[in-house]
Amino acid sequence: MANTKINTYDKSREYFNRATKVIPSGVYGHLGPAEGNFIPVSAWPFFSEKAKGTYFWDVDGNKFIDYMCAYGPNILGYCDPDVDKAALEQVKLGNCTTSPSYKMVELAELMVDTVASADWAFFAKNGNDTTQLAIMAARNATHRKKIIFVNGFYHGVSAVVQKIDYPGILPEDVANNLYVDWNDFDALEKLVEENDGEIAAFISTPYLHGNYADNELPADGYWQKVRKLCTEKGIVLIVDDVRAGFRLDLAGSDHYFGFEADLICFCKAIANGWNISCLCGKEFLKDAVSALSYTGSYWMSAVPFAAAIANINKMKALNLPAILNEKGTKLCNGLKATAKENGFDLVVSGAPSLFYLRIANDDTLLLHQAWIAECVKRGIFFAGHHNHFINYSLSDEDINHTLEIADEAFKIVRKEHPEAF
Amino acid sequence: MTDAKTLAYINMYAILGTLENLCQLDSEAAALIADRKPITIGLEVKDGPSATITFKNGKCRMDQGVSDCDIKLPFSSCEKFNGMIDGTVTPIPSKGFIHIKFLLSTFTKLTDILTKYMRPSEEDLKDEKFFEISTSLLFYTVSVAISQIANNDEIGKFTADHIVDGDIRFSIKNGPKATIRCKNHHLVTIKQDTDEPRAIMEFGSMELAHQLFDGKVNAIAKIGEGAITMHGMINMLDNMNRLLDRVSLYLA
Repeated sequence: MANTKINTYDKSREYFNRATKVIPSGVYGHLGPAEGNFIPVSAWPFFSEKAKGTYFWDVDGNKFIDYMCAYGPNILGYCDPDVDKAALEQVKLGNCTTSPSYKMVELAELMVDTVASADWAFFAKNGNDTTQLAIMAARNATHRKKIIFVNGFYHGVSAVVQKIDYPGILPEDVANNLYVDWNDFDALEKLVEENDGEIAAFISTPYLHGNYADNELPADGYWQKVRKLCTEKGIVLIVDDVRAGFRLDLAGSDHYFGFEADLICFCKAIANGWNISCLCGKEFLKDAVSALSYTGSYWMSAVPFAAAIANINKMKALNLPAILNEKGTKLCNGLKATAKENGFDLVVSGAPSLFYLRIANDDTLLLHQAWIAECVKRGIFFAGHHNHFINYSLSDEDINHTLEIADEAFKIVRKEHPEAF
Repeated sequence: MTDAKTLAYINMYAILGTLENLCQLDSEAAALIADRKPITIGLEVKDGPSATITFKNGKCRMDQGVSDCDIKLPFSSCEKFNGMIDGTVTPIPSKGFIHIKFLLSTFTKLTDILTKYMRPSEEDLKDEKFFEISTSLLFYTVSVAISQIANNDEIGKFTADHIVDGDIRFSIKNGPKATIRCKNHHLVTIKQDTDEPRAIMEFGSMELAHQLFDGKVNAIAKIGEGAITMHGMINMLDNMNRLLDRVSLYLA
């Protein structure tokens, strides 16, 4: 077995101890250790020092090939020179100003030219800003209350998109939420019939990439039937493309799956890590959005606009989704083959550029968690139960190194869990 | 945010049910029921829980339902039963007046001892043995309350609908263990370990467990520190944690 360096995280823990004293949870939310993706937590770093390309270095100096890409924003590579150059040039000109920069107009025009279903673009900061906006716009346009969600959904953190059993959420917050299983068109049709004339919107990611479970692509014809139903019933069709946006198709994941959303939400990969989100929509919903009281202090900052323009233009020039798909396919095929050689049943689901991993040898996920942890300790940053992300800077050499570490980790887990084989 | 029916189920199975463990762990409680003739108390709540508590061979045991019993305590509503637990309602037996002495003396003493452990003073907690028993009894109460909330509370039922079948091992390191068993979104707590857990959550020490039950430390931060460990089907634990949040509402 190779003599691979095993990471230690003393400084990460020191920072975490300091953090818990002054920050709720230490590191809250999806980047934090309590989200269920770091098992055991001892295998993961908590704080970073720097990042470049497909790598980041933690505060202990450990280097990682990063397959989480900041949970999506890193699509070209950390500190991409072209994107950062555009951002830094804009810093010198001004960022958060009383009148918004003309860069906002340029970016809106670029979004409309890029996203197939877009007639307009509205900018904010986080994905949640856009899902909340989409729901409000749908209610305003239809004068209806109810929203249909797909079981296993995640659409951000507003009260309306949380669940009744989450802390701080009132039953009234989610009283108009309806739920249906993914890919179950018959159930959706029945739900629409039962609530005829009351449903404002159907909101869904382009495919099911919920956590803790294999990701599921749409069944043949599913989206086309959903589109037709929504049109017939006057229901606004919202696609939450925050996670998958630009990795499947620069024209939008609805375009990739052959339909058109009424509203489509983007964030994460739009500016390669510079903070911006965007709701795009159809002409008939523009006035419904205009009427809303909806804004934020930093939503019209110019630096992220400049970064997004550079990022989108570079992604277009590269035809990036095809490259990411190729890199993801190479990695996923390699991981599956390595797993098989070692007697593991590694299930890879979702799109290759957003691959989800699960070892299916046991139904407890204990083997899976052990393998992921062994990889992370050796510098391959995976998360336990979340889809991963491919970025442009990932090289063949990085993929090959990942497969070597994966092989080593499989062998260790097999040795430590002989009862499972 | 809470309802009387769910509270009644918690009071019955998680609070009074902990008498089983009290009689195992506390010598004074054990002495009270040692060497006495077997006796059963039936508690029946209209539109709510019912259980039979049996004291036999120096042990206490609770079973669901009331069939045959020496003393029967009927309650016309969940609110009335909850009032008895709060000490604001005095129950009147419908059967077993000849055993009234046991009810007023032994049973009352047992519940007084249980209260001492469940709502301990800072002074009592300085005693190591007391601390250990108190923490263990709180653990069993919380463990059983999780299932009662999952099966009865409207929000808890929503949570249970998202839990897959299997056993969760819920434990304190070097301390008590329980199994939260889920089948078809119905939960049952078994106050012993499971051989085949699908998910595991363990508090790192009795001290940590007590602090968590008291709300003196942040569970999320403790997961980050590794003092609370989780393995296996994390979505089972994620949902159990939502039930734990509601336990604190009911037991506050």
